[in-house]
Amino acid sequence: MCRNFNCLDELYRTEFGAVYQCNLKNCYWLEFAGEWYSLNVSDFLFFKKEVDSIDIVSMLVDSSRHSDVVVLQSYRARRCFVLNAVEILQLKDLLSAARFMIELNSVIQECLSYSPSTSVK
Amino acid sequence: MKDLLRLKTSLKEEIENILNEQIKVEAHSSSIYLAMSSWCDDQGLDYSAQFFEKQAAEERVHMMKFFKYVNDRGGRAISPEIKNIPKDFESFRAVFEMALEQEMHVTQQINNIADKCMKSKDFVTFQFLQWFLEEQIEEEYVARRILEIFDVVGEEGTGRWEIDKHVQKVSYSGE
Repeated sequence: MCRNFNCLDELYRTEFGAVYQCNLKNCYWLEFAGEWYSLNVSDFLFFKKEVDSIDIVSMLVDSSRHSDVVVLQSYRARRCFVLNAVEILQLKDLLSAARFMIELNSVIQECLSYSPSTSVK
Repeated sequence: MKDLLRLKTSLKEEIENILNEQIKVEAHSSSIYLAMSSWCDDQGLDYSAQFFEKQAAEERVHMMKFFKYVNDRGGRAISPEIKNIPKDFESFRAVFEMALEQEMHVTQQINNIADKCMKSKDFVTFQFLQWFLEEQIEEEYVARRILEIFDVVGEEGTGRWEIDKHVQKVSYSGE
């Protein structure tokens, strides 16, 4: 998907990555670990749920080598994420904050579309 | 900035999550009733086996109503994973006691969803739940009434045979 910086709104940025909203293509861009991933709204919400469901504690407690990393596949991102425990925490923080900003934008839009004249008689 | 979230879905994340939980509860109920049907059939309790088979089908219809609603409102309904379905039951009476407990649990869950909908001002979903709340009156009534038949008839002698015959006749008129 073409990445046009002119129509990207930054939703949230940490020192490890950022999430942008593309108003032209109605999608989100995730910038993480030097890579860019585009996700539509549904995929973004689903991807966040996948990341949130990773059990970090059992990863850390498990001494087997395969538990050091988690492989996450987002079908339409055309890439997979291979993440260690620290990266998962960084990604969780970033996605949660971006999700909050998306929700905040909805609340603001709702307030702006609410006309006080309809309630004041 | 465009509101992409509301363009995609009218459901808030919290409401979508609890509706998906309810899909799981309904699917779980359906599977438990099917297990009860199988147990009753094995015990020679034909009418009870048919009763639970019908209940299992009804619970699946309920599940699909929730499933379709989540998708219709722009959310993503999740096909549930069902685990821990019992294969054996203590007694004929215990099966119906468990059925009543299951229905009471479902009622409690739907009440909790309605409460959350009110708090988050999701009146569309609240309205959608009204059908289920009314349905639960019937579900609990039928299970409770059958348990009362156990007390009236008694299980001794041909009691179990009599009770099994009466199970199919219990219905709720709502009047």
